[in-house]
Amino acid sequence: MTPLRITVNGREHVLPAPPETTLLALLREHLGLTGAKLGCDVGDCGACTVLVDGLAVNACLMLAAQADGRSVLTIEGLATPDALHPIQQAFERHAALQCGFCGPGVILSAKALLDANPAPTAAEIREALAGNLCRCTGYAKMITAVHAAAQALHGATDERSPRATPVPRLPLPGGGTGGPR
Amino acid sequence: MRRRGRGIACMWYPIGFTVSANPSAATVKVNEDGTATLLTGTVETGQGSLTVLGQIAAEALGIATEDVHVVSADTDATPMDTGAIASRTTYVTGNAVKLAGERARAILFEAAAPMLGVKPEQLEARDRKIQVRGFPQRSVPIGEAARHALVGKGEPPIGTASFNPPTVAMDPETGQGKPFATYVYATQIAEVEVDDETGEVEVLRIVAAHDCGTPINPMLVEGQVEGGIAMGLGFALQEEILFDAAGRQINPNLTNYIMPTSLDMPEIEVDIVPSYDPTGPFGAKGVGEPTSVPTAAAIANAIYDAVGVRMTALPMTAERVLAAIKAKRAADAPRLAAD
Repeated sequence: MTPLRITVNGREHVLPAPPETTLLALLREHLGLTGAKLGCDVGDCGACTVLVDGLAVNACLMLAAQADGRSVLTIEGLATPDALHPIQQAFERHAALQCGFCGPGVILSAKALLDANPAPTAAEIREALAGNLCRCTGYAKMITAVHAAAQALHGATDERSPRATPVPRLPLPGGGTGGPR
Repeated sequence: MRRRGRGIACMWYPIGFTVSANPSAATVKVNEDGTATLLTGTVETGQGSLTVLGQIAAEALGIATEDVHVVSADTDATPMDTGAIASRTTYVTGNAVKLAGERARAILFEAAAPMLGVKPEQLEARDRKIQVRGFPQRSVPIGEAARHALVGKGEPPIGTASFNPPTVAMDPETGQGKPFATYVYATQIAEVEVDDETGEVEVLRIVAAHDCGTPINPMLVEGQVEGGIAMGLGFALQEEILFDAAGRQINPNLTNYIMPTSLDMPEIEVDIVPSYDPTGPFGAKGVGEPTSVPTAAAIANAIYDAVGVRMTALPMTAERVLAAIKAKRAADAPRLAAD
């Protein structure tokens, strides 16, 4: 078994892995990085999406050996100890995730898009997220959040972007608790 | 040719179980630092119910949502809750949380009244203070009132309450009764394009107006509505479990059980109808399941508007729509004289 040399979230690992090991199994079982999810395991759902040399891939369909010598980014490598990544912040602010199972994959698909295209249109965002299935949200707030993240990262946005969703206050007499005070 | 049509569908939906008991209980503790702890048996699955319940507890105590620590879904320690089902959490659990918060608040009022030289019924809880109604400058911080309740009066400010929606069993002879405590209402309008050569349906836009009572957290209500529409759209056009003659599912994975992706979703406009239910917590009812109820019917009506065929089976796949269009053409074609 030739050891693999893979950079994961900026740290180089030299790991022996059986040849049938998928990249997803390497990340989850050998490195304990469980952010990328095992959903369908056949490349349909996108919950295992990670970035390999900056491109979004289904880690369940890629053999670990194919990532030899490459650089992998998982959701664990996105935030710094001080702050969430601007895409994660936008997803949080716009309540773009509900159960969250698809979240790591969606956010990394969004990152691959925004790295390549700093000011995507709504249609380009829909296209970029088309490989990530979500049962909860209807994708609407994800699309809004990716627009917001594009603006935060690059100060750029498509003129046709949906209007930002404000977080209204609880409409009660005497002021409410609909938002942080 | 792609033909455009619009369809409308309305629905009502009940909150909670049909007649049967479905109680929720909750405990609210006010801490000496002015924060509160909410214990609830219900479970968060991403819909944001713990945020909403925290907001309800905060509103009852006059503190901020971030002051409320929610402990949930530990059957060893948290009070009984029937569950995150039947679109009942905001209404049923929310009512229990509100009552529990009000009981804790009553203890704070008893403690604060002598500190402020007034009667407890003259007090209100606002802006993290217990204050004299109409004289907000006469106040004590809520944490101080909590401390006084604990060490001065010897009665910690803890409230526990439960709520079970009041219902009346249906009479088996007349069918009369009150099977649910409250109902929600919605109307959705779908705009579609139908290709009359392929039968393919594209949903361009859905406008959804929902009455959920007071929207405790409007952003979360929108999330529920948008997600429900995605499920309704899949139900309408794509999703179907297929079986072979032996009863085995023949499409058991996401390659051939087709659910909506980001490319299938239309523009969605959510309209939260102003409403207030006096039996709900701060006027709230619920929003979960009802969001996907009218979607398929609105799409079916829009297909009829576009190409004049009434679809009577779901999902309304291209094959089924095209077959219906062909059948209609055949039926509409002028007949040659039989002789």
